[in-house]
Amino acid sequence: MNNSFIIDAHTHIDSPGIYFTPRFDCRDLIDLMDLLGIRVSICSDHFSIFRGSGEGLERLLKICEESAGRIYGLAVFDPRKEGDLPAIRQRIGRPGLVGIKIHPSFHRTEPESPAYEPIWRLAAENDLPILTHSWSVSEHNPSQRYSTPERFEHYIKRYPSVRLVLGHAGGRGTGRGEMVRMVNTYPNVYTDIAGDIFCLDLIESLVRQIPAERILFGSDFPWLDPRANLTRIYLSEISVHGKQLILQENAQKVYRIP
Amino acid sequence: MDYSEIEKQIARRRQVLNELAPIDAGVWLGEPEGFPLACEMKPEDLDAFGGRYSLHGCLVSHWWGKTAGAAQGNAALGRPMGDDRYVVWTALPRYPSEPGLLPGPDLRPDYVKGVRIFPRAHNFLMSRWQIGGLCEWLERSRVPLFVWHTELEWDALYTLVGEFPRLRVIVETQPLKILYATRKLFALMKERSNVLVELSNFAGAGFIEYAVREFGAQRLIYGSFAPMNDPLVPLGMIIDASITVEEKRLLAGDNLRQLLREVGS
Repeated sequence: MNNSFIIDAHTHIDSPGIYFTPRFDCRDLIDLMDLLGIRVSICSDHFSIFRGSGEGLERLLKICEESAGRIYGLAVFDPRKEGDLPAIRQRIGRPGLVGIKIHPSFHRTEPESPAYEPIWRLAAENDLPILTHSWSVSEHNPSQRYSTPERFEHYIKRYPSVRLVLGHAGGRGTGRGEMVRMVNTYPNVYTDIAGDIFCLDLIESLVRQIPAERILFGSDFPWLDPRANLTRIYLSEISVHGKQLILQENAQKVYRIP
Repeated sequence: MDYSEIEKQIARRRQVLNELAPIDAGVWLGEPEGFPLACEMKPEDLDAFGGRYSLHGCLVSHWWGKTAGAAQGNAALGRPMGDDRYVVWTALPRYPSEPGLLPGPDLRPDYVKGVRIFPRAHNFLMSRWQIGGLCEWLERSRVPLFVWHTELEWDALYTLVGEFPRLRVIVETQPLKILYATRKLFALMKERSNVLVELSNFAGAGFIEYAVREFGAQRLIYGSFAPMNDPLVPLGMIIDASITVEEKRLLAGDNLRQLLREVGS
């Protein structure tokens, strides 16, 4: 599609293995971006999420470089893996690396843990945003308790200059209210709508509760198809300016995308 | 600020939505269970809801069918008001016989165009010896059977739909994401042509194109699972799908229209 302008602020590449999906690699992602007018995707790789940064991050950065500005990368930090911090530190400044991804639920680590301190410090020192998985307490998935939005307050208070994106709008339960409180309390806290946050009137209710300047479009590819969230933004009952912010400008600002 | 691209996309999507003439297989009345952020939909809300999403009809269900009891849910649905608006009743095994409004050979008002079962919540099996009588009647009367993927045993469904090859079973992708069950769902759809899938959470990357290519567009049924979910999620997947316009119309409404026409025939 011509006139591509959208930034998908939450994508992954590689199959996560735990389910079947017909499209999951970098070529599939770019095909969908071309189809839907998505200019840029912010991406972290599943290999790094599940196996630690290093090999996966290097491969992702090569993909970023070869994508000619279509894909930008996030370095995954797993606090249990000793090699992650040096692997990330070594690649600071590489073209295409625009932030850090943390996932306390997958990594079974309390988000207030001192093990996360080095990555927050690194982010602050290098003007890098952090995208974290966030969700609500869930009886179906007890590990989501590691990622409820209020638990990130510990570090955002200590590193207020770091731009923090609470992924998935805090989930579909009590995490939503906590996400709203965090965004309204801390000027550098944002949220994205990636994943199956398929609540009716999600966009309208978010814009009523938090500034539109803090909401980012995201798909969570390949877990979800970007098409699942696009039409609901286009046809939402908010201003056209608000749609422009959500689809493009907010992510541009958070991740310093040219 | 130039908003022309956004305005163009809005206009295009509105136009396609109107052309699709969607029928929604999954509109729910009553207090939702497990969706703390969702508001209850009431019968008087249906007109506005249909208008907002350009619906040309819908199948209405009631949460009480699961949470209070099958007969209570069916009674709460009542007779739907409005054209092209029908209901899905909750069913139980034919034996032991239970009182109340339960669907079967002696009770199916014309406006009841589908039946749903909750084998896990209502503690019965999807085996022939348990629900064979119900399935025989559904097959004979051409009433489609709806079931949430979280309520079924995949092995049992595989056997059952083989034993009743004219029974149409619509696997619903709620109330938890279907994603983790795709290896089972897709294999079942490949093996059993009388299994269809409802689209409210059928939202993984490339799912629509894959399913249309592998199983045919006739096997996909639009449903929203509103008011828990946003109808524009599955409609958005259809609007932007890389399939033909005719295939989009099948998914959005024509497949369900065909199923509804055949009920009782």
